[in-house]
Amino acid sequence: MNLNWTDAFNNLVPSLLQGVVVVLQTTISSFLIAVVVGLLVAICRLTQLKIVKYFFATIVEIVRGTPLLVQLFYIYYVVPLILDSILKSMGNSSANIQFSAVAAGIAGLSINYGAYISEVFRSAILSIDEGQKESGLALGFTYYQVLWKIIIPQAFTNSIPVLGNYLVMMIKDTSLLAIISVSELLLRTQTYASQTFETIESYTILAVVYLLLSLPLSQLMKLFEKKMKILH
Amino acid sequence: MEETMMSVRSISKSYGSNLVLKDVSMNIKKGEVVCIIGPSGSGKSTFLRCLNLLEIPTAGDIIFQNQSILNGKIKVNKYRQSVGMVFQGYYLFNLKKVLDNITMAPRSLNKKKKELAEEEACELLNKVGLLEKKDVYPVSLSGGQKQRVAIARALAMNPELLLFDEPTSALDPELVGEVLKVIKKLANDGMTMIVVTHEMGFARDVADRVIFMEGGYIVEQGTPSEIFENPQNLRTQEFLARIL
Ligand SMILES: Nc1ncnc2c1ncn2[C@@H]1O[C@H](COP(=O)(O)OP(=O)(O)OP(=O)(O)O)[C@@H](O)[C@H]1O
Ligand SMILES: [Mg+2]
Repeated sequence: MNLNWTDAFNNLVPSLLQGVVVVLQTTISSFLIAVVVGLLVAICRLTQLKIVKYFFATIVEIVRGTPLLVQLFYIYYVVPLILDSILKSMGNSSANIQFSAVAAGIAGLSINYGAYISEVFRSAILSIDEGQKESGLALGFTYYQVLWKIIIPQAFTNSIPVLGNYLVMMIKDTSLLAIISVSELLLRTQTYASQTFETIESYTILAVVYLLLSLPLSQLMKLFEKKMKILH
Repeated sequence: MEETMMSVRSISKSYGSNLVLKDVSMNIKKGEVVCIIGPSGSGKSTFLRCLNLLEIPTAGDIIFQNQSILNGKIKVNKYRQSVGMVFQGYYLFNLKKVLDNITMAPRSLNKKKKELAEEEACELLNKVGLLEKKDVYPVSLSGGQKQRVAIARALAMNPELLLFDEPTSALDPELVGEVLKVIKKLANDGMTMIVVTHEMGFARDVADRVIFMEGGYIVEQGTPSEIFENPQNLRTQEFLARIL
């Protein structure tokens, strides 16, 4: 076998570094949005209002029951078409809606992970002892003060290890954005490999880059988990 | 005549078809210490929880400082600020240090300045004998220490009335004394309190009045010596015979 590691390394890595920037930007924005969405959905699902509760339960089931890849396709290719036809039917014939690939990617990741994270928060909130709520109420806090000042901070802290796992998963899932033409790591590698036929070298380097991104994060999470155990 | 702080008028409480409080009435005067005793399931906790509206009575009325708390005209959370409650399970806030557990409510509900709130919290911690624990997290405290912090936390809102639901029932026997000592100190300071307890020695020692509850009724009430030495009702006699 005749492998050209030096060539692959010198030519691919600079491009992958740019890809890393895209991955980090996409992951950080998507993850922050997903956490906020997840928290709000979790709270909505815990209200007494039946309509709100079931509405969000249904959405979560739809999102969790379809593949992320399909959702990305749908957001990038189908949603613009739907919006277009709506606008056209309203008499706006010049409408030609298109999302940028990165925006569609962030939307897809946020919605998909938001649904899963909402489940994490929901069960974390439900697992907080009822006594915490009651002692807060007994001190004179309102229900919403108890929720935001007492329950959610505890539920959130308890969720951090799981959230950490989701963050690592999301970094890896950004590779799916290649299919809607976001120039992240996989797409760059694919392009390079097909031009140079340095297939083995390219994809090996790609795998190593993903490992370098996710391993330190996993280790950080383990450390944090140990720290939090001390408080319980 | 001493001032009546709270007047409970014929309250009932049912869960579905299960009537657990039946037409219960009582008054409590300012500075009075009332102990409630009775067998498990007799409705003691339910009664106490009705007093600060953690449960809403299904009938009857509760008058606090000459105002009904059940007619919908008062703000429930404001009312609860003047009626503290200490639970069997302490329920300290794990993520906050002891001092912050105590200052949290005064700072956020009374908008008290941090320095002032902490100064007062230290005084309270001193009172319950735990000043040296102010900067630790609840997890490192014993049960008895947790409960004393919970008492300090309730006191920080300056309540008019303090409710205790079996404050020592979750504690190892050797830790019961330190908590009861603190409650006794509060009684001596003139704090108005209702204490549900299985500690008969404590009730005899500290209570101005003892209430015996069974089956959702107040069966008998009187001074400690009336209840413990000369109970009139057969069921009170049976209960005391069993427990003492
Ligand atoms: N949230 C609830 N839903 C339904 N039933 C309840 C609820 N809370 C209490 N009960 C019932 O009400 C009755 C009285 O309960 P309560 O907790 O007031 O008794 P207790 O005197 O405090 O007993 P213990 O000494 O065991 O604490 C019990 O039969 C209990 O099963
Ligand atoms: Mg009880």
